[in-house]
Order: sequence, then structure tokens, then C-alpha cells
Amino acid sequence: MKHRMRTLTASTVLALGLVSGQALAEELRFTVWTGSEAHLKMLNEIAESFKATHPDVTVRFETIPAADYTQKLTFQLAGGNPPDLGWMMEDAAPTFAAAGVLMDLGSTLRSAEGYDFADYSEPALGLWVDGEAVYGVPFSTSPFMIYFNKTLFDEAGLEDPLQLAAAGKWNMDTFQDVAKTIKEKTGKWGFEFKDGQGYDSRIMHALMPPIRAYGGDVWANGECGFDKPEAIAAVQQLHDMVFKDKSIVPPGEQGDYFSGSSAMTINQISRASKMPEAGFDWGIAPLPSGPAGESPVIGQAAIVVFERGVQKELAAEFVAHMTNKENVAKMAQFFPPARKSVLDSEAFTSANSLIPAEQMAYVSDAIAKGKVLPSHEKSPQILAAMAPKVDALWKADANVEQALADVCAAIEPLL
Amino acid sequence: MADALTEKGSARSWRAPRLTLRQREAIEAWLFVSPTVAGFLLFFLGPLAAVVYFSLTEWNLLTQQATFVGVKNYVDALSHNPDFWHVLRNSFVFAMGLVPLNMALALSLALALSRPFRGVIFFRTVFFAPVVTSAVAWAIVWRFLLQGEGGAVNQMLALVGIDGPNWLREPDWAMVAVIVTRVIKMVGLNMILYIAALQAIPRDYEAAARLEGASNWQIFRMVIWPLLAPTTLVIFVITMIGSFKVFDHIYLMTGGGPENGTLVLAFYIYEQGFKFFNVGYASALAMIMFVIVLVLTVVQMTLRRRDMQ
Repeated sequence: MKHRMRTLTASTVLALGLVSGQALAEELRFTVWTGSEAHLKMLNEIAESFKATHPDVTVRFETIPAADYTQKLTFQLAGGNPPDLGWMMEDAAPTFAAAGVLMDLGSTLRSAEGYDFADYSEPALGLWVDGEAVYGVPFSTSPFMIYFNKTLFDEAGLEDPLQLAAAGKWNMDTFQDVAKTIKEKTGKWGFEFKDGQGYDSRIMHALMPPIRAYGGDVWANGECGFDKPEAIAAVQQLHDMVFKDKSIVPPGEQGDYFSGSSAMTINQISRASKMPEAGFDWGIAPLPSGPAGESPVIGQAAIVVFERGVQKELAAEFVAHMTNKENVAKMAQFFPPARKSVLDSEAFTSANSLIPAEQMAYVSDAIAKGKVLPSHEKSPQILAAMAPKVDALWKADANVEQALADVCAAIEPLL
Repeated sequence: MADALTEKGSARSWRAPRLTLRQREAIEAWLFVSPTVAGFLLFFLGPLAAVVYFSLTEWNLLTQQATFVGVKNYVDALSHNPDFWHVLRNSFVFAMGLVPLNMALALSLALALSRPFRGVIFFRTVFFAPVVTSAVAWAIVWRFLLQGEGGAVNQMLALVGIDGPNWLREPDWAMVAVIVTRVIKMVGLNMILYIAALQAIPRDYEAAARLEGASNWQIFRMVIWPLLAPTTLVIFVITMIGSFKVFDHIYLMTGGGPENGTLVLAFYIYEQGFKFFNVGYASALAMIMFVIVLVLTVVQMTLRRRDMQ
């Protein structure tokens, strides 16, 4: 009987211990859109290092494909099952911030030991800060660069964009010329829009760089910019390249840069991970300058905490950990940082093993000079309203000026 | 004997309350159907009632704020939104193109493949295979084949001197392309239904008609076609409902473009609900779609019944 009592007591103590241990252990759920093993390994290392101050906290990274990311995130929020924290793209930021679903991280970040919030570049924070409130911390401030197929440029006997940039001759005119020559001499396309989706899901990525190079903008201060002379000139040039020079992959065709079908494309440095298997010599160069000079375009993503999460304070502490100087430097190999101290360091230019330091210097330069892609609280509605009008633009006999006026007429009520 | 019966009777009344046979059968019947009824209430009637309620609210999915607005969403859709009528027109064009083409092709294939001959299983498999093929793979392959100049379809047309259009970038041709590729994908299902119906028709009918001197066309028109009527009705209804509900095919092939030329109702509902977060408005559109499909089905069933009488 005594023995039985002792066994019972021991079991009870053990069970209570397990229960209390379980209660102490906490898990943060973090949604991301990367499925890259290298990215996830790095993220897990950062999560592991959080245990130094929070030994019972684990972080589970959950991948949602980029194409469905915003929708699926919305379902999770609407379904009462919000992640604790997640990545967020720049075009979704205003909509989510206005809906009040993002937590203000300002006080946590400013009071975190050794965090140095002022180290973040102010323009890079523009989209995520409202007065003292901070709704997200950019982890990737990645400019769009020209990827070129060096092998095709050599075959066509042309100077490549990097050489042209070094000589100060890399502008919209030479861009058009080399694309046309490539097409004539090699039969391959001169240029492909980002991921071949410039006519549908990447309209902004297709139109924005030339429009800004010409000194225009798609919209600003509630006013549409598509029908301004700068935008018309820029889009007319693209239109000529597609339908007169036939040097840009036209709508309805496929001309994948990464498999060698196009000599140039536009993308961010995270895509460099696809290049080792491409099978040709390549490099990255800045976007061609235009009448308005250099005007790099930046795509941005930030880490946010969801207001409806049950562990939002803990999640905010993890954001402070993940975006401290040390971890930002670690992430810089894939995601260009918004921290000035890391951006200016040699560690950043030599961080990417696939891209030489002199090409990474152009990335740093673009981050310093660039402007983030446009976004708006009603981005999804604006893009949907634009799409059919932009479709009408991409026809051989389209009147570019009229088509762009139609774009403005469609989106102005939403701006 | 009488004592034994009394004893048995008292034992029974001790075990359970006295129920008539009819009551016992009713309870058993309800127990048998209860899983289905529960599923129906939980997964069909419940969500349907919820959609009716949502359609009377202005509910933003992201902010989770819902305001009761009565029939405003219906009024907005039917009288203030020109996009709705354009989308509805597209849905009707899609259905009117897809349903007859699908049914005619399915019946032709079934007539050709209902009788046994060498290789019949192979051909049936070939025509049925697209039904079980992944919609994503199907769309990717067709997008590749339907490219403007470099597409295999246009290259084949060029061989016979035809300059093919840029199929997925011209609104009218894009609609033709999504209809035809959808028909090729789904026709196998209707073909199987027709084959099953054809095989159920006794051969004697055809033999008798032939003895009477009927031609092949007369046998089909006067004997087979009337006997296929119930199957035709089922196929018509499910194909029409499917064509109004089409979403994945449009999403993957054209995304509703170009110039909203293939923007159909189900895709528009998705955009409103899950891209713009207007769940109330999207629910009203879904109810309108439900009513349209219901009316078309009832009309078709009524006409068919009158035909058969």
C-alpha cells in the first residue's frame, strides 16, 4: 500500500511537471513565402539564437506560395487563426495597416537593448511608419536590376550592360538598341519582363522602371500619372520595342530568360539563386537611366506582427531580435537590408557568393537612390481596374496615349 | 403456449417502451439517414444560410466589420454596376458555347465508342484521361500551345496557310480558346455517361427498327435519341451548372483577361470576395448565380417533362 502511494505521488509530480513544462514552452507561427532551403535554414538559425534570451520559445516558419500569400493570410486572419507574425509585401501594406490588423511595434523596437532604430534608412521605412507607430520592419529592400546573358551579348558582338554602365552609356536608348541587335543577330528575345508576367500580374514591374527613368510616376498624391507626357514617352518606347523592333517578348509568348531565351530581364538579387543552373555567363547591371537620370525602383517586404495574435508581445520581441544588426547582416546575403550600417559595410557587398562585389556595389547604390514601388490602400482594386485597359495597350495598332488616358480614367476614382 | 407468449411479451415490455412497428421503423430510418442529414445541414444548408445572411451585409473580410445593409448589394449589382452585366454576359457566352459543344462531342464519341471493337478501351481511356489530369498541368500546356507566333497550334495552322490569332491575348479568341480547351478536358465524363446509357438500350429495339426498314439516322432520331432523354437531361444540367461555376480554368488560363473578355461570374465573385475583401457583395453575386442556375435547371426540366408527355 505504501509502495503504491509512493508510485502514485511520483506519477502525479511527473505529470504536473510535464504539464507545467508544456505551459511554459511557447511556439510562434511565422508565415513566409520562401520555400528555399537556404532561406529557411538561415531563418531557423535566427530562431534558434532567440533561445539565448527566450529558452522556451520556438518559431515555426510556414511557407505559403507568393502568388497566394496575401489571400491565404487574409483567410487565416478572417478565420480566427492568425499567425503570430509574417512577411508582408509592399503592395499589401497600406491595405492591412488601414484595416488595423498590424501591431504597432514602435515601443518594443525603441526600447530593445542595442537595437538602434535610427540606423534604419528613413526612406526605406516610409511605407511602414506612421508618426511614431511602426507597422513593419523591412527585411528586404531589394532594387530591381537588369540580369543579362553575357553569352548572348558576346555572340551579338555587343558591349554588355555592365560595360555600358561603367562607360556611362547605359540608358533607355542603348537599352533599346542592344535589345534590337540581339534579336537581329541571335534570334533570341532582347528583353523579357519580370518572370514573363509583365502583361498580367507584373504590370507595375513592367511599366514603372521606364516611367520613372523618364521622370514620371504612375500616380502620386491622388493623381494619376499614366497620362502625363513622361509616362507616354516611356510606354511608347516599350511599345515600339515590343511591336516594331520585336525585341521584347510580346504578349502571349514565352521567352524565359533563365533558360536562355532572352538576353535580358529585370529582377531582384534573390533570383540569383536560379542562375547556377542556367548554363550561360551572366551578370547584373543597374536599370538603364532615362531623361530624368538614374531612377532605381525598389521592391520591399517587411516583417509584421498581427494584432489578433495571442502572443503578439512575444512576437514583437522576436521581430526586434530578428532585425537587430547582427541578424540583418546575416540576412543580407539574400535580402538587401534597410539598415544603413549594414548596407554601407563591406560585408554586404561580399555577402552574396553568386554576385561579384563590383556588381553588388550597384545594388547598394540603387538602394540609396531608389524609390519603392507604388502602393495604395486600394491596390487590389486599382490593379484590377487597370488590367483591362493595359491589355488594350498591348496591341500592335494601339494608340498609346489614348490607352494610357483610359487607364487613368479607370483608376482615378480609386486614387 | 399462450403462457409462453405472455412471458415473452412481458420481457419485451421490460426491455423497451412499447412501440409500434411503424414507429420502430421510423426511428431506424432516421438513424440510418441521420449522418447524411447532419452532413447536409452542417455543410450545405448552414453555409447556404450564411451566404444569404452575408449577402445582406457590408462585410469586409480583413477588418471583420459587418454592417446590415438589406438588399443594397443586390441593388448595386443589378443596377449600379456595369461590370456585373458584362460578367454575366461572359458567363452566358461561356455556357452557351460550352454546353452544346460538350454534349454534341460527348454523344458523338459515345456513339462511336459504345460498341465493342478492337482498341475501344484504349480510345475511351484517351478521351477520358483529360478529366483526371491536373487542371494546372492542363492549363500550363495549353498556354504554351496557344502562344501567338511560337505556339504549336498556330504553327500547325500556318502549315495550311492560316495565320492564327494570338489566342489568349484577343478577347473574343480567348473566350473561344477557354471554351474549347475546357470541352476537351471535360468531354470524357459526359462520354462515359452516354456510353452507359447507350449500352442500357436493348439491342432488340434497333433490330426491330432495322427490320421495319429504318435507316441509321432514323434509328438514332426515332429510337436511340428519345431513350437517351433522361441521360441527356442529367448531362445538360450538370454541364450547365459546371459551366456557370467554372473558376480554376479561367484563373489558370487567362485570369479573366484580356480586357475582361473571359471574366466570368465565379471568377468575379472570387475577385470581389478574396481580392477586394467585399464578402457581402460577393455573397450577393453568389446568390444571383445560384438563382440563375436554379431557374435554368427548372426550365429545362419542365420543358423535358412536357416533351416526354
